[in-house]
Amino acid sequence: MLNKDTQREFQVLGKPTPKKDAPQKAAGRAEYADDISMPGMLHGKLLRSPHPHARIVSIDVSRAMALPGVRAVITGRDFPGVRYGNLPQTRDYLPLAIDTVRYLGEEVAAVAAVDEDTAEEAIELIHVEYEVLAATFDPEEAMKPGAPQLHGQSPGNISAHTESHFGDVEAAFAQADYVREDFFETQPVKQGMLEPHACVGLWDSFGKATLWSCKMSPYAVWRQLAMGLDIKPGDIRVVQTYVGGGFSGGKQEAMPMDFCALLLAKKTGRPVKFVHTMEEVLIIGHMRHPMKIWLKTGTTRDGRILAQHVKLLANGGAYSSIGGFSIFLAGAMINLPYRVPNMKFEADRVYTNNGFCGALRGHTVVQMCFARDSQLEMIAAELRLDPLEIRRRNAIQDGDVTPNGFRVNTFAFDECITRVAEMSDWSNKKGKLPKYRGIGFGCGAHLSGARLMGHSASTAEMRMLEDGTVHLTTGSTDVGQGVETVMSMIAAEVLGVGVDDVHYLKVDSAATPLDPGTFGSRVTLFTGNAVKQAAEEIARQLAEVAAARMGVAAEDLEFRKHEIINRKDEKQRVSLKEIVRWGMFQQGRIFSGRGSYGYSEEKIDFRTGHGNLSPAYNPTACAVEVEVDPETGQVTVVGLWGADDSGTPLNPMAVKGQVIGAAVMSIGHALYENLIRIDGKVMNPSFRDYKMPLATDMPLLANFKHSNVITWEPEGPFGAKEAGQGAGTGVIAAIANAVFDATGVRLNRLPLTPERILFGIKRLQEQNGEA
Amino acid sequence: MSTLMKRLPKFEYLGPQSLAEVCGMIAGTTRDEVLLLAGGTDAILQMRRRERTPRRVVGLKGVAELDFVRGQDDGGLAFGAMTTLQTLVASPLVGQRHELLQAAAAQIGGNELRNVATVGGNIAGALPCADMSPALMTLGAKIKLVSERGERWLALEEFFPEFGRTLALEDEVLAEISVPKPAANSAGAYLKFHDRHSMDMTIVGVAAFVSWDSESRTFAEIRLAYANGAPTVFRAHRAEALLRGQALSEEGLEAVAETACAESSPRTSWRANGEYRLELIRALTKRAIRQAWEKAVRSKAVTSKETSR
Repeated sequence: MLNKDTQREFQVLGKPTPKKDAPQKAAGRAEYADDISMPGMLHGKLLRSPHPHARIVSIDVSRAMALPGVRAVITGRDFPGVRYGNLPQTRDYLPLAIDTVRYLGEEVAAVAAVDEDTAEEAIELIHVEYEVLAATFDPEEAMKPGAPQLHGQSPGNISAHTESHFGDVEAAFAQADYVREDFFETQPVKQGMLEPHACVGLWDSFGKATLWSCKMSPYAVWRQLAMGLDIKPGDIRVVQTYVGGGFSGGKQEAMPMDFCALLLAKKTGRPVKFVHTMEEVLIIGHMRHPMKIWLKTGTTRDGRILAQHVKLLANGGAYSSIGGFSIFLAGAMINLPYRVPNMKFEADRVYTNNGFCGALRGHTVVQMCFARDSQLEMIAAELRLDPLEIRRRNAIQDGDVTPNGFRVNTFAFDECITRVAEMSDWSNKKGKLPKYRGIGFGCGAHLSGARLMGHSASTAEMRMLEDGTVHLTTGSTDVGQGVETVMSMIAAEVLGVGVDDVHYLKVDSAATPLDPGTFGSRVTLFTGNAVKQAAEEIARQLAEVAAARMGVAAEDLEFRKHEIINRKDEKQRVSLKEIVRWGMFQQGRIFSGRGSYGYSEEKIDFRTGHGNLSPAYNPTACAVEVEVDPETGQVTVVGLWGADDSGTPLNPMAVKGQVIGAAVMSIGHALYENLIRIDGKVMNPSFRDYKMPLATDMPLLANFKHSNVITWEPEGPFGAKEAGQGAGTGVIAAIANAVFDATGVRLNRLPLTPERILFGIKRLQEQNGEA
Repeated sequence: MSTLMKRLPKFEYLGPQSLAEVCGMIAGTTRDEVLLLAGGTDAILQMRRRERTPRRVVGLKGVAELDFVRGQDDGGLAFGAMTTLQTLVASPLVGQRHELLQAAAAQIGGNELRNVATVGGNIAGALPCADMSPALMTLGAKIKLVSERGERWLALEEFFPEFGRTLALEDEVLAEISVPKPAANSAGAYLKFHDRHSMDMTIVGVAAFVSWDSESRTFAEIRLAYANGAPTVFRAHRAEALLRGQALSEEGLEAVAETACAESSPRTSWRANGEYRLELIRALTKRAIRQAWEKAVRSKAVTSKETSR
């Protein structure tokens, strides 16, 4: 695996390449949805429920309608009443609530007015009569008999249930030398993207609807809009704008603002713009699932895992979003990065009267890794094993097939552990740091795109222009992670042109190929393969023309630096542009290529949880060093060293940005971020009070290192795997383990607040008779 | 209670150019009717949450005579209520005479916020979490209240009778803050705790100001004041008294911290439990005193070196 073969020679790939859109964004020239202005455009605002659970008795919009400047007011009854959603079995969203609101902040009515201020004033003039209903906020309470029911079709408030069992867990526990059970709890965490959701809707005179919006997955939005509006998808066009940060959530789905922009545009004959305030972003749904995780693990005396049994309760909030898959994924990922020969997983996602939960970078892998790698460290301590050794003994290896059917090609987990140990100077630090300073280890894994029951395959289309540049379209969006650049690099590599010679167009459902979009770390691998194929098709077409003109065999031709060269006699060469023009102008050729990647030859059984969910899997390891103030409990992250097997990094600069970004998000998750809700009301709906980490909360750059273990993933385009999510998965456990190492305080509940750490320290001091 | 911020309520905006005009505008009005707008970093949010719905807003930005920093002949310092926090941070004069004020101001928000937030607004908002008030109290600051009836001076530490209230009458405007010349060999420290390492809301803030008697090597004076230690910013007089005339000792610090906790009554909220705030008061009191002491002792060393040269 780690031999010379894995270090390929590239002409474009593998070199740190700045993002193509960076100058546009840095100069403020990139046009985001909120920058769009159209003649006659109206501004929309949404009225939200002040109750966590209530029946809508009546809505009186007459005073709002009478306000000068108001052009239209709509309520849930103006829509066809068709529910939409992600998974066919959990369609429970409505564009606006019709008779029931299920969380505080749910959209009830919308206004379009000549300016934002008037729209806001009109919102206050809408009178809604509510009959307040009993509400339920905690998943365990919500499951009890007699609890308020959120959705008629889901008795016991069970929004989704999944279970899987491989091997024989009970028998394995009976054989185990050591068994322990722990309980972990995680908090709601928001995406925290800097650009709030924004859209502009237009309903033209031909009856066609167009939505411009910052969507990560424009085609998912396109389908959901058609569902909720009950019109043909062909009558809707979704155009992607620049995306100011994605991290999943509302930019992956059609949101109430999108439906309302279109319907208000239809009613008024004018374009209508909606932009969420950051307060709205923080109050509405779309967040990481808070979870309660019971984890039981049995091992041999020497720390080999024999069995794991996980029971999981996810607080889903009021609606489903992608929640059914969220809990499925949590169970599937127990199979990585450690060998777990016997595993049992039982999970419920429960409806409660809170903002709803869905996907967020790392999805549900993050919570599971926190629980598992915290517990693994406790097991190592009990068995007197080195924390690194217990991980090595259980590490998945290249070629493993996991009990649930993951076929692992490349998985340089051992090397990740070794590199992190070296970079962090682990052996000189573990157990040897001064009091209140500690180091912890954490590991995780991710997949390069999940194969879902719905649309999974990626496609690309490419067209050569007469100047030797190419137009490249896919359905995958650049959400800041660098898709535009890396897809351009792949095309440029094949065609021997420069990165800037490839024009990567934004997604437009009227023009670009159908594709699920950006999520689940799928783009580099799925869309990258499709782009490679499309470029190779054009290369074949060009080689055919060049071969005839040069009198050589097409298979001997190479594409390098805007030239087509005979590999056998490099003096024989011709400029790319000459061949393009000759083919186009004289032979009437169209140089265009198509590619696709689906990896769909075998089925996944979502009922049993068996099947190869992704083409490729990547491990990650990291060490975190912390200093804890013993008098305040405050944690300072002193250093973070991570290593990942992202296959062959196609754009090392972007990979670095992704892995560091993922680690930073996890620092926030571990120490600061928490959407605090009391009886369904968000107490901290601002970036002042919803605390994302700042630069001053980060380790110095000199102590913030990352290493790529380079492998050649056979399923990846040019050996690549994902880089955006895996790197964050081990960080939270590493921080919890480091805090334990520094203080002796073991916290199984997130976030690790100074208050809980301090009182933990005080309890220990009392026990030891120090205080 | 409103669930989301709303648009600003409708009000009449007045933009006076002089203090006399301001006094005329607020004479005979009630606090519910008229809101004095300084930097607006709190007031705008309060209005958007409809906690305040004034009929008139009097913007003080145009009143140039409220925006100044001036050295007093006696070595003290005076500044206008509309002085921005950034002006305090950037003023060499403030740095020379009362470094503590800069230390406190620099810990509030980021540049953008400090460019609009004013010291008068921080005081007159009467919030227990205000960071300028504890520092100013330990420096013995006085404030000038002006109305059509005339002007009067109050000690800042007497200004806050209860949560969210001040002793300013409804026709009075906070115009000026005056801080006396620091005693010889004195120094202060402002330590505040929040979850993140910067730009965060104060959970507890402790200001300590000490002067050092170089002969007896004891505290000639010590003053302590707290943000978020009680419903108002306050001075911990009983705690201070324990160290006056004493030398620095671990036992002394413990006793002061204990008494400061006894004088405090921090609240429990979703931001932090009262019990935890007490622990912070205990820890930060000791640290702040020690820091101020060390600086004061060092300042003596520096001064004597300069004199001998």
